[in-house]
Amino acid sequence: MGRATVTIVTGKAEARQRVQSGRSGVLREIWEHRADYAYVLPAIAVMLVVIAYPIYYTIELSFFKTPPGLQLRDKTFIGFDNYTTILTSEVFWRVTWNTLIWTLGSTLIAFVLGFATALALHREFVGRGVLRAILIIPWVISAVAASYIWKWIYHSDFGIIGAVLVGLGLADRPPNFIDSVNTVLPSLIVVNIWREFPFAMIMMMAGLQTVPEQLLRAAQVDGASAWQRFWHVTFPHLRNVSTVTILLLAVANFNSFIIPWIMTGGGPSNASHIWITHIYELAFGRQRWGVASAYSVLLFLTLMTLGYFYVRALSGNERQEGSA
Amino acid sequence: MSTTAETAPRSLSRRRMRVDGWRWTGRIFLAFMLLYTAVPMIWMLITSIKSGFAALQFPPQWWPDEPTLASYEKLLDPQNSVGQDFLRFFWNSLFVSTVTTILSVIVAVPAAYAFSRFSFPGRNFLFFAVLLRNMFPAVIFLVPLFILMRLLGLMNTHGSLILTYLTFGLPLAIWLLKGFYDNIPVQLEQAARIDGATRFQAFILIVMPLSTPGIIATAIYSFIGAWNEYIYAYTFLTKNDQLTLPVGIQRFFSENTTDFPGLMAASFMMSVPVVVLFLVLQRYFVRALTEGAVKH
Repeated sequence: MGRATVTIVTGKAEARQRVQSGRSGVLREIWEHRADYAYVLPAIAVMLVVIAYPIYYTIELSFFKTPPGLQLRDKTFIGFDNYTTILTSEVFWRVTWNTLIWTLGSTLIAFVLGFATALALHREFVGRGVLRAILIIPWVISAVAASYIWKWIYHSDFGIIGAVLVGLGLADRPPNFIDSVNTVLPSLIVVNIWREFPFAMIMMMAGLQTVPEQLLRAAQVDGASAWQRFWHVTFPHLRNVSTVTILLLAVANFNSFIIPWIMTGGGPSNASHIWITHIYELAFGRQRWGVASAYSVLLFLTLMTLGYFYVRALSGNERQEGSA
Repeated sequence: MSTTAETAPRSLSRRRMRVDGWRWTGRIFLAFMLLYTAVPMIWMLITSIKSGFAALQFPPQWWPDEPTLASYEKLLDPQNSVGQDFLRFFWNSLFVSTVTTILSVIVAVPAAYAFSRFSFPGRNFLFFAVLLRNMFPAVIFLVPLFILMRLLGLMNTHGSLILTYLTFGLPLAIWLLKGFYDNIPVQLEQAARIDGATRFQAFILIVMPLSTPGIIATAIYSFIGAWNEYIYAYTFLTKNDQLTLPVGIQRFFSENTTDFPGLMAASFMMSVPVVVLFLVLQRYFVRALTEGAVKH
């Protein structure tokens, strides 16, 4: 029995090599590996239904004028009209600018804070585990709860920050953090960073553990300062993790919805609308399904560009893993 | 040689000073981060034990004059309509999250294993297709899924949520687990197969136990993701008795609510399950990231 299995295994490997040497036998190869597909099939099936179909449908809908109420049989083909409507509207540029600030601001600050925290937590000290656990909590609790907590903290009459500022004599009356066009976006970014820096922290902590201790010690013996050790030894080792972390954060931020939606609903006067909240409002608020779909397609194209880098960064990681 | 001996002690002390400087910077920074992280959560707790009247005062009562658990009692009281709703939403969230988690693991484990071990045509393409899912925001899928769910007759059911949640938990789950399987030596399975185990038995008996931390991490990730999900639940569910917590809470506390203690108590109760779960199992999660995703 055992011997039989072994021969089958080697036979299969030989066959695989033979097929791989000639390019003609793709179908045969697929047939040979038919059992392997069974493992991925459930995942792929779910993905197809819930992803491929929606993407196709969104693209189709973006070329149609749609009646409200989703009676989609009554849609009419209008070519690129939805796209021109979007690109010529003022709101579009406002929202795009907001999205840019929101995504870049949240991503970079969350990453820097998370990385710095990971470095500060790297050395063993009393209470480190507890501190780490506390710092992770904001990442775990729901964005809905976070939004309500911060809405209460920013409250223009009874908020704690306003009270502290007045108490310290820094302001005459509590400032309007989220009701004012100028401060709303930065205020929301602070909330977003609050929720996201722990993710960067975890990733970078995991990364820090892979930095070889001997190299650091060797650098120290050679007289490298703490900064030099960080810059020349630690940081190069973390380049991959950093790229992946920043990309994951950027994608998550670009796609975020809950915090602006619950805290301000995009207001006041669109000052905190980002692409996603704007699309949601167009679709489910104003029922302009066609325009919303065209927006989604633009979003999709933007993300594909981002995605190109994302996949490249992840597969870079892959290659390294394979070679190690 | 002699110069080195003379300057060595001085440069050493200077270096120690500089190291101390970094260490102090680190401590001050950590203190700042602790404040930033903890103050909002502490303020949530303090507000939740205030009476409605005490919460609406300026300057605020830093510690309530008369702490009260009234808000919690109201939320947990099955006699009262708010309590009934809250407990129902809680149960709905628990049900949806648990089923999602179990299904995610069942689907992700074999897929990750196949991506790690087999070299079938299209393997890389499929792997990246799966990862790409993470790139796209809920909104892109929302309108078509809305229509699809109507078509499948899943509107206003938890099934619509479970099916949707599965897909956004899967990419990261598969990626994490694949990293794990990559690090388990193939020889272990080969040895088992030489001893007469089938491929499936080798998988179940050898590979699965070794990847337990990865599976636990995957499960936590799916659970937390499903528990906290808002946008699909907000769109697919309209009937009050079906709502999950994130949406349900919003329904109780309308736009201009003044019941901040109630809102804070509800936010706290909603956070408890995931925070506890995560804190208990976090070492698996960190380990999974270290061994699976980040390892060089």
